[in-house]
Amino acid sequence: MKLSLNWIKEYVELPADLELSKIAYDLTMATVEVEGWEDISKNFEKIVVGQILELEKHPDADKLTLCKVDIGGGEVKEIVCGGCNLRVDMKVAVSLPGAMVRWHGVGELVEIKKSKVRGIESFGMICASSEIGLFDLFPFTQEATIVDLSDFRAPAGTNVAAALGIDDVILEIDNKSLTNRPDLWGHYGIARELSAFYGLPLKKIEPCAIDAPEMEITLEDTARSPRYIGVKIEGLTVKPSPFEIQTRLWRVGLRLINAIVDITNYVMLATGQPTHAFDSDKIAGHITVRRARNGEKLLLLDDNELTLTPEDLVIADDEGSVGLAGVMGGKRDSVLPETNKIILEIANFEPIGIRRTATRYDARTDAATRYEKGIDPQRADIALAVAMKLFADLYPGISVTGFRDNFPVPLERKKVTVSLNWLESRLGKRLSNEEIRTKLELLGFDVEFAGDELHAIAPTWRSTGDISIPDDIMEELARMHGYENFEAAPIVTSFTGAINQPMVAIDRNIREFLAFRCGMREVFTYPWIKDEFVNAILGGNDGLHALSAPPAPDEKFLRPSLLPNICKAVAGNVRYFNEFSIFESAQVFLPGEFVSEYDSREALPIQRRNVAGAFVGGAEDVNALFRRAKGALEALPRHIHIENYSFERIEKPFYADDVVWLNIAAQGGEKIGNLALLSKKSALACGIKNNAVVFFELEIDALKPFTSRDNKFTRLPEYPLNEYDLSLLFDLSVKWAEISGVITAKKGEGDLLRGVSFVDEYRGKQIPDGKKSVTFRLIIGSQEKTLNSAEIENFANSIVKRLSKQLGAETREK
Amino acid sequence: MKEKLDAILKDGCDKIATAKTVAELQDVKASLIGKQGAVTEILKEVPKMEASLRAETGRAANQLKQQLTAMLDARVEEIQLKASEISPDFDYTVPGIFPQLFNSNGFGGLHPITQMCYDLNDTFRSMGFEIFQESDISSELYAFDNLNFPAEHPARESMDTYWLEGHDSGSGGKRLCLRPHLTGASVRFMQKNKPPYRFVYPGRVYRNEETDARHERAFFQYEVLIVDREFPFSAGMILIKSILSKVFGRDVPVRMRVGFFPFVEPGFEIDMGCLVCEGKGCSVCKHVGWIEIMPGGSPHPNVLRASGLDPAEYTGFYVNIGLDRLVMMRSGIDDVRLFHSGDLRFLEQFA
Repeated sequence: MKLSLNWIKEYVELPADLELSKIAYDLTMATVEVEGWEDISKNFEKIVVGQILELEKHPDADKLTLCKVDIGGGEVKEIVCGGCNLRVDMKVAVSLPGAMVRWHGVGELVEIKKSKVRGIESFGMICASSEIGLFDLFPFTQEATIVDLSDFRAPAGTNVAAALGIDDVILEIDNKSLTNRPDLWGHYGIARELSAFYGLPLKKIEPCAIDAPEMEITLEDTARSPRYIGVKIEGLTVKPSPFEIQTRLWRVGLRLINAIVDITNYVMLATGQPTHAFDSDKIAGHITVRRARNGEKLLLLDDNELTLTPEDLVIADDEGSVGLAGVMGGKRDSVLPETNKIILEIANFEPIGIRRTATRYDARTDAATRYEKGIDPQRADIALAVAMKLFADLYPGISVTGFRDNFPVPLERKKVTVSLNWLESRLGKRLSNEEIRTKLELLGFDVEFAGDELHAIAPTWRSTGDISIPDDIMEELARMHGYENFEAAPIVTSFTGAINQPMVAIDRNIREFLAFRCGMREVFTYPWIKDEFVNAILGGNDGLHALSAPPAPDEKFLRPSLLPNICKAVAGNVRYFNEFSIFESAQVFLPGEFVSEYDSREALPIQRRNVAGAFVGGAEDVNALFRRAKGALEALPRHIHIENYSFERIEKPFYADDVVWLNIAAQGGEKIGNLALLSKKSALACGIKNNAVVFFELEIDALKPFTSRDNKFTRLPEYPLNEYDLSLLFDLSVKWAEISGVITAKKGEGDLLRGVSFVDEYRGKQIPDGKKSVTFRLIIGSQEKTLNSAEIENFANSIVKRLSKQLGAETREK
Repeated sequence: MKEKLDAILKDGCDKIATAKTVAELQDVKASLIGKQGAVTEILKEVPKMEASLRAETGRAANQLKQQLTAMLDARVEEIQLKASEISPDFDYTVPGIFPQLFNSNGFGGLHPITQMCYDLNDTFRSMGFEIFQESDISSELYAFDNLNFPAEHPARESMDTYWLEGHDSGSGGKRLCLRPHLTGASVRFMQKNKPPYRFVYPGRVYRNEETDARHERAFFQYEVLIVDREFPFSAGMILIKSILSKVFGRDVPVRMRVGFFPFVEPGFEIDMGCLVCEGKGCSVCKHVGWIEIMPGGSPHPNVLRASGLDPAEYTGFYVNIGLDRLVMMRSGIDDVRLFHSGDLRFLEQFA
């Protein structure tokens, strides 16, 4: 919303030394956000009224004229001009050197310089209205028409902005910040707020009494139309409005139509109350405000024909609807050049209905914008007064031949009772009763005190829902006191124990473990998945939750697993990197059951938190990638202090390679995750051609944190431990799990095995077909003595024997 | 002629089946249906044939060409899939290797928004705040009803919210959406715990809007809420200053001014002094010296009621901060869409 400072000053006399920046600051801090302001006269610097003294043809150009122009201060300058309407004595707008103008009204602003035009020195420029931003006030049709300022009293040399009375400042208010303050729409509302800030008197707009025969106006739905004033005015003509009214509307960005329509707009900008003028000759019979009939047609002012519903409120006459109430007037009864009688409507409509209708027909008009925020019906009184004064001023000969104020139930002033002790605790400060009274009365409240209680009675313009609870009164007092004038209070608290949130800790510990210990990079991806990844990774979209208006038609499904989008991130990154690892911790949405965890009225899908990652490398790196991913998962429980899990083969994930996959199982045996190589088929479907990708995914919610660190101490060995490496040949099908199982199987007295670890597996050259060489390390030691080499050798040989008996192990031929 | 075609087919089948690489297959393809391929040669002869033979031979040759093409394509895919085939004897029981600094391009690290979130968590933990997490799918009941949004509030109807298919037409707890803001989470926490409350709740929220360098469909908020028996709104300043000094590493001038949101009363817009011009006014702060940084306020009595509290007894203070914007300010990032891009060239800049 744009506001003219001069217009505001008509209602409240602001001290000359009150700086604009202070007003803007105070409004921003305590009322509405002032987004900026524009000093209109800044656009007219060095543009002055000039009076043409002499005209002479340019010797070298047919269309140019040499003008001798009085530019005030006794200076007469010669200016070359191509204007077609120049005459001696004419007052014109002269841009002096240094002024900024827009050549022919188009393009960027350009600085005027003293220059030669076809060989003759020209001191500035005589301007067309479009060149100095005044086209709307001085429209022209013929090219090269110069603004004629002869009708203005200002003498030569006067700044043009001052000469036209447009030396004003326009404040730009953020409409959003007006949402709960419908009283502020209009200059009078803001003036009222400023008068309260500074304790200045507000000009009262006296309601006007109208003495005229009663018109018939029927309100069929008083809930939707609480008030309707109709005034029939005769003896009008359609003409442009006076310059003063035109510039006011122009300054705040309104389009100029004609005097009658301009008055209705003026009233709205002054008071925030929309009004409308019907051509009364076109009204058949009397006005009824009613619900539209189902399917009723209405041709609007903007030539848009609507098919209405009974939800819409219309203004109708005996023949049908003539306007969409509170939104837009109809075509049939609009003010036309021949109009001489009108019915002026000043009405109040219920906000929700207006908003629904405006939304339904996408008609976001100025009137609808104001009505849908809720306007107090009493405001119609001052709107009527302002309107009638303007009509009387502009059309001295008019007569009012009909009047009706249909206002069955006036809006009551809202009364709020506030405890003074409560107020003090919330404000963190005691305000005296006098301070409270003064502040609230300035805002239009009536105030009574009764013991610990304050009764505040809001003015009607604040009683539309804005003020309704004690907190609202507290806010009024706080903002009037000035938020900056409250000292920041310390937060006082008591402790009952330390905070212990193990599941919160797990999530963070996992992320930090993967990032800082495993060298992985955390990514974020969207919760919705592209169909190609749904199909390639999950094998289908059965039962998945979906968005009704997704970001793209092929991105409607919500993820039940993090892997599709991790895969997408992999596909995006293989363009730049051949080797990398990424992970994400986020929510997944499971198909099936709905649950009510918080409120029995609510039913939400089962939502869990997963962590998933990808190790990516060259196509030949499968083994290394798989072992790194596995290594990360094996180390995770110990590092973040959760119950360990195991790797099992329960069910192959859809996307997984036929061979290289494992499930992760909790101690109870249930599957809580997967670790697998992305199958070539799925990889190709995702556009990953030359890389091997190993995925893992783990349900964070299924992990069980220990209540404390669980590391257990083992006594340090008293006798030395010996490392003993063995390389044995096995059939390809023999797994390390079996080998280590056999090695560790025989525990008991005299057992010298203190540990075993996998070192390496080798296939290929020097190894017979169908065999592999497995190297592992035994830790051998006794708890009773230091072993000699024969004892160590013997023990190792016993292991070899056991392996060859149970798993067919062979020693490598030297 | 039929024999000739049969012979080509038989030969083709053999060659396709025995080819071991995609390159070998290319040669086979050329010899069969390439410019000088066996089938192509026959097709070239067709126009010169007797009229009675022309139609039949042409049809048969084209059929053969199609048949061979399909076989070639199938074999290419087979070879591609085979190329990576893992030996069925792959030993998945071998223990893993700890993947320290696996990434040859540098170290691992947390997402810059996670970093910011943890910075703030640490700050608030040090002041005795709990950390709460709400699920992403919420309902109209928690996203709007409990938060004092009037039944007719435009945000409920608007297309800004991602409603769930099949759950978008009901109301309250049965109308489901990806949460449009975090504030609903506060009521969940309060319903499950006993006052007084002091907790933070970070999380991702969703808006259905066009994206550009400043707008995203998924972004992060961080809310802080304190609820107690006595809590003057001016104590909220401590929360705001804690956030900003942690983020920017020094004290930042802060002001609270009037602002309106359905779920708070009174509500505030919170501004911080522009760090670029030190409050003197510059293009970054639109020449006002202040930058709007977060909304805040005291929970509206209706929100406290929805949480099971008596608003006559309890009050509090809340702030909601956009993490994306804060990270962008702290690190000088100019496109919000990078956060969800998964692009390592971006992420690796944050250690």
